[in-house]
This record gives sequence, structure tokens and C-alpha cells, in this order.
Amino acid sequence: MYEEKANFKEDTDETFRRVRGALLNVLEDTDEARKGAVNEKNKTMAIVENLTDGILLLNNKNIVEIISHPVVDFFKKDKKDILGQDIRELLKGEDFKALRELLMGKEDKDIKIVYRQEVSVAKKMDLELTTVFLSKEGEVLIIFHDITRDKLVEKMKTEFVSIAAHQLRTPLSAIKWTLRMVLDGDVGELADEQKELLEKTYISNERMIALINDLLNVSRIEEGKFLYRQEPGQLEDVVNAIIEGSQELLKMKKMKLSADIPKEKLPSLNIDKEKVGIAVQNLLENAVKYTPEGGSIYISLEKIGGEIIFKIKDTGVGIPSSDHKRIFTKFFRGENIIKMETEGSGLGLYTTKNIIEAHQGKIWFESKEGEGTAFYFSIPIDIDRLA
Amino acid sequence: MFKKILIIEDDKFLRELMSKKLLSMGYDVVSAADGESGLVMIKESRPDVVLLDLILPGINGFEVLEMAKKDPETANVPIVILSNLGQGEDIERGLKLGAKDFLVKAHFTPQEIINKLKIILD
Repeated sequence: MYEEKANFKEDTDETFRRVRGALLNVLEDTDEARKGAVNEKNKTMAIVENLTDGILLLNNKNIVEIISHPVVDFFKKDKKDILGQDIRELLKGEDFKALRELLMGKEDKDIKIVYRQEVSVAKKMDLELTTVFLSKEGEVLIIFHDITRDKLVEKMKTEFVSIAAHQLRTPLSAIKWTLRMVLDGDVGELADEQKELLEKTYISNERMIALINDLLNVSRIEEGKFLYRQEPGQLEDVVNAIIEGSQELLKMKKMKLSADIPKEKLPSLNIDKEKVGIAVQNLLENAVKYTPEGGSIYISLEKIGGEIIFKIKDTGVGIPSSDHKRIFTKFFRGENIIKMETEGSGLGLYTTKNIIEAHQGKIWFESKEGEGTAFYFSIPIDIDRLA
Repeated sequence: MFKKILIIEDDKFLRELMSKKLLSMGYDVVSAADGESGLVMIKESRPDVVLLDLILPGINGFEVLEMAKKDPETANVPIVILSNLGQGEDIERGLKLGAKDFLVKAHFTPQEIINKLKIILD
């Protein structure tokens, strides 16, 4: 009996010892894991806090839980006054009005999905804002990317181009007017040879004036400010006007132009009439320039589905297939046409493509060297907007 | 029909070229080389039309336009902007301030400007 009791006690002690050992191991492992997790978290936080963009992590109740250092400068508050605050409280005030609206709409609702939207803050800072929703629990990452300097450089470039264009136009105007007066006989009679030479000079000067216009346009395209104003308009009116204006040019080259433009009104389009006119003009001028004398051009305009499609086809020299990929790039001119017509900025199709795409349209072409080229563009009919 | 033209242009060569051409066509021409004297001339010489440059020393063309239109004595004198600026915003601003038209100098010869004036003023 005594032996049994003693054995029982030994067994129990052994069991306790073993369980204690196991628990201690588990505790040790858990503590290791905990330390590992804390290290990882500290590493991550160090990275986040030192990011150069402003980062805020909000929980699903719009409370700020994590921020990066630039956010402290942004709100001009201490870190402790930002963490734990509701983002809506932090963004109160006139300075943050545009930012607040972009983030939460006009009624301060939930955070919206925002991808790289530009917004101005306090009249002196430009930000690019992005929001990222992290999980089903509704945590949101808000990213402020400072583009103030980028915008300033853009502004300086625009001003430079405007001033340069203006300054260049002034002496060119003087040359244009002087040559015109001399050619018109206002300052005496000219011998034929003199007249011929000066006519050529006048044309060269006109080309320079046109080139400055092209460069100005390109500069504006790159700013994204190219379309000045879009209003409901009739594409057929624009096309007809360009065709009218090209009659002299066509006559000089003995070319035939036939057009299939519907007599009934096409649906109105939301267009910048002047710029779309430039686009059509560029395409027609190319057709004339790159088609030999006596050739023909065909233009058509029709409504297909939810778009209006413009087509212009010529019997010209065509675009070699090796050039097809580069046809819309800035300053590109095909080798076959440089030999034919040495003048040309290489900006026409680049500008035209940008105009069409700024209208949410598409531009494409079909061409075979030696046979001719057909260019097409489409502009969508935005029925909702006009309703 | 118009007889007397006022040119407000700071570039001496362009101002003289234009004057010479207009005189040879039988018009009366007066000119000013800056905005302030331009404004004075609009009042004093009573032109039938003003050709106004925008880039001027001192006050610029937009300011001249605005002030001329504000003054009841000169508000009815037709003003046509003749400038080498020509972006959408400039044109819109000029027309909004009361200019009758906006011509880019580099795009028109003096003869073409006169032709335009005839259309604008009739």
C-alpha cells in the first residue's frame, strides 16, 4: 500500500516536471516569436516613417493609426496630435477644402477610391493623391505625393515657350510685311529675277511662322492644356469648311476631291471646333502633299454605332510598312516623303493624334507604298453629356 | 467706312511699316508707342478704329482696352487687337474686354489686315 502511494507521487511529480518543461519551452518559443514580430514591426515602422511621401493609415472608423514623417510637416502638428484623430477633423478648414472634397466628396462621406488625382492645398502646395483600400475590414492607406516642384517647372516651361514663340513671331512679322510690300511694288518695280527670289524668301518665312505654331501646339499638348473649350458642334460643318478652304490648293495640284458627307444633320459632338479643324486640315494637307499631281482624294463622314467616323483616302505614295509603327511620333517623317517634299515639321500627325484622343476618339490608317493611304478617326457621341 | 486709324505698337519698325502702308492706301494714320500715350490719343485724335498691340512697355494692351472701354468718351471706339500672342485664353480675354477682333500679326499682311478691318467694321 505504501509502495503504491509512493509510486503514484513519483509519477505525478514526473508528469508535472514534464508538463512544466513543455510549457516553459512553449513560453520560450512564444517569446522568441513575439520578439521577432516586434522587430519586424519596428523595421517596417522605421521604413514607413521615413518614406518621402506622406502616408496615412486609417482604420475602418477613419482614425489615423500610422503616419509617415512628411505628414507631420503637412499638418504642422505634432505626431501625437495626429495619431488617434479622425481624418475629417484633421482636414477641417479652408486650406484643405479641395483635398477634403477629393477624398470624401462634398458631404464628408466615406473615403473614395482615388488614383493619382492632382489637388491644390492651401494655395501653395500641389499634391497627387492616391487611396488604397487594404482589407475587408475597411482600412485605408492615403498617399500624398508632393508635385509642387513639378508643377512649377511645367509653368516655367510654358511661359518660356509662350515668350519664345512671341519673341520669334515679332521679327518674322517684320520680314513678312516688308517682303510683301516689296513684292507688291510699294517701294518700286522689281525685275522678274528679283521677284522670283523674294517670293521664295516669303514662302520660307511663312514656313517658319507655321513651324512656330506647330511648336506652340506641341508644347501645349504636353501640358495637357491643348483643348481650349469643348462645346456641342457639328463635325460636318468643320469638315466642309476645311474642304472649302482647300479648293485653291487642290486646283494648283490638279487634284480631284470627292466627298460623301451626309446632308441630314449628324448627331452633335462635344468638340473644340478649332482644334478638330486643325486635325482635319493636317490630314487633308498630308493627302495633298504626298499625292502626285492629278491624283484624287476621297473623304467620308458617317455615323457608325455610337461614333462618328471620318475617313480620308488618297492615291498617293503610301507609307512603307517599316514606317507604320512610327507614323504618329513627334518629328517623324518617312524617308520616301522627305525626298519628295523636303519641307515638313513632322509634327502634324502627332498633333492630330493628340487632338483626336483628347476627344476620347481613336485614329488609325491603312497604307501600302505606291498605292495610297487611308486615314480614319472616330469621335464618340456622348449622348449623356448633351442630354 | 473708316478713314482714321490709330496704331498702338511699341516696335518702331512694325509701327512705321504699318503706317507707311496705310498712308499709301489713303488712310489717315496716327500712332503711339506705349499704352499710356495710346489711351491719350484715343481720346484726343478720335480715330475710327484702333489697332492695339498687347505687349507694351508700361501698361499692357489688355489694360489699355479695359480703360478705354470704361471711359464713356472712348467706349464706342472700335478696337482690334493686333498681337503676336494668340493662345485661346488671350483671345477670349481680349474679346471679353470688348475688342472687336483679335488678329495675330504674323498671320496677316498689312493688306490682309485692312481687308479684315473692312469686314469687321461694316
